[in-house]
Amino acid sequence: MSAEAEILDELHRLRSRMPQLTGALAASADGLVLAQDSRGVEPEGVAALTAAALGIALRLTDATGQGGFRELLVRSDRGYVATYAAGPSAVLTLLAEGRVNVGRLHLEGRRSSSRISELLQATGRATAQQPDRPRGQPSALTDAPPLPIRPTSPRAGGSRSRSRHRGTGETPTT
Amino acid sequence: MANTETALKDALSTIEGATGAALVDYTSGMALGTVGGGTGFDLNVAAAGNTDVVRAKLRTMEHLGLNDEIEDILITLSTQYHLIRLLKSRGGNGLFLYLVLDSGRANLAMARHQLKKIEAELEV
Repeated sequence: MSAEAEILDELHRLRSRMPQLTGALAASADGLVLAQDSRGVEPEGVAALTAAALGIALRLTDATGQGGFRELLVRSDRGYVATYAAGPSAVLTLLAEGRVNVGRLHLEGRRSSSRISELLQATGRATAQQPDRPRGQPSALTDAPPLPIRPTSPRAGGSRSRSRHRGTGETPTT
Repeated sequence: MANTETALKDALSTIEGATGAALVDYTSGMALGTVGGGTGFDLNVAAAGNTDVVRAKLRTMEHLGLNDEIEDILITLSTQYHLIRLLKSRGGNGLFLYLVLDSGRANLAMARHQLKKIEAELEV
């Protein structure tokens, strides 16, 4: 089974576990839809917007020196949009009704995004035979517009962001 | 009057057999504070799950046409008691206290009584 089909399965499982979800989509960090299960919204548009929001979120986490990006929650009058990092090159975006249990949304979203990350890594390994693309590049998380400042203080919890430096040529000096 | 952290610590230290406590917002399912739980018992998971319990009961009461309110909910496991107490004080709307008790050590009547007292003194 291809990674896309397995991701779609994961999204279906997620929606059946949480009936308050109105949509779920996995996108690459550059805004392309990997798999989606959402009616009533245009997945391509949401994926593209997610990528834009992600760019800002990454800059924010970077500028405030708080390590790698984890998740983004937007609350509106009638619902929520939640975006979770799924490894270095993909994100999971969930749409939910206003009466959703946000605690549970986070738990399920986090679990699902790490599962999607594993699925992508498994296929990344399969295609990692090309010598100059060892990590399934390109990834928009690493190719995002250059950030103005890299936090120079060697923070202990920087393991997530460290992996993102690879392949960008911006290897931290520490 | 006690703040969230003090109230939760009080619950854990004064109630015999208590192993974890949380103050949970059931409009969002997220915990405002947690104490104890230890490894292997994630109180944030418990907060989200028990939010569903409280919501289901409130909805059922509404469907039954009961014009009443929940004081507390007791869940009995084979080795633990889980006690949910909804806050009634001003400003405490939409919140509940969640208490995990080791059923071998706890006195249920005493625990309910003490939790009621802690709830009355809690100011959010």
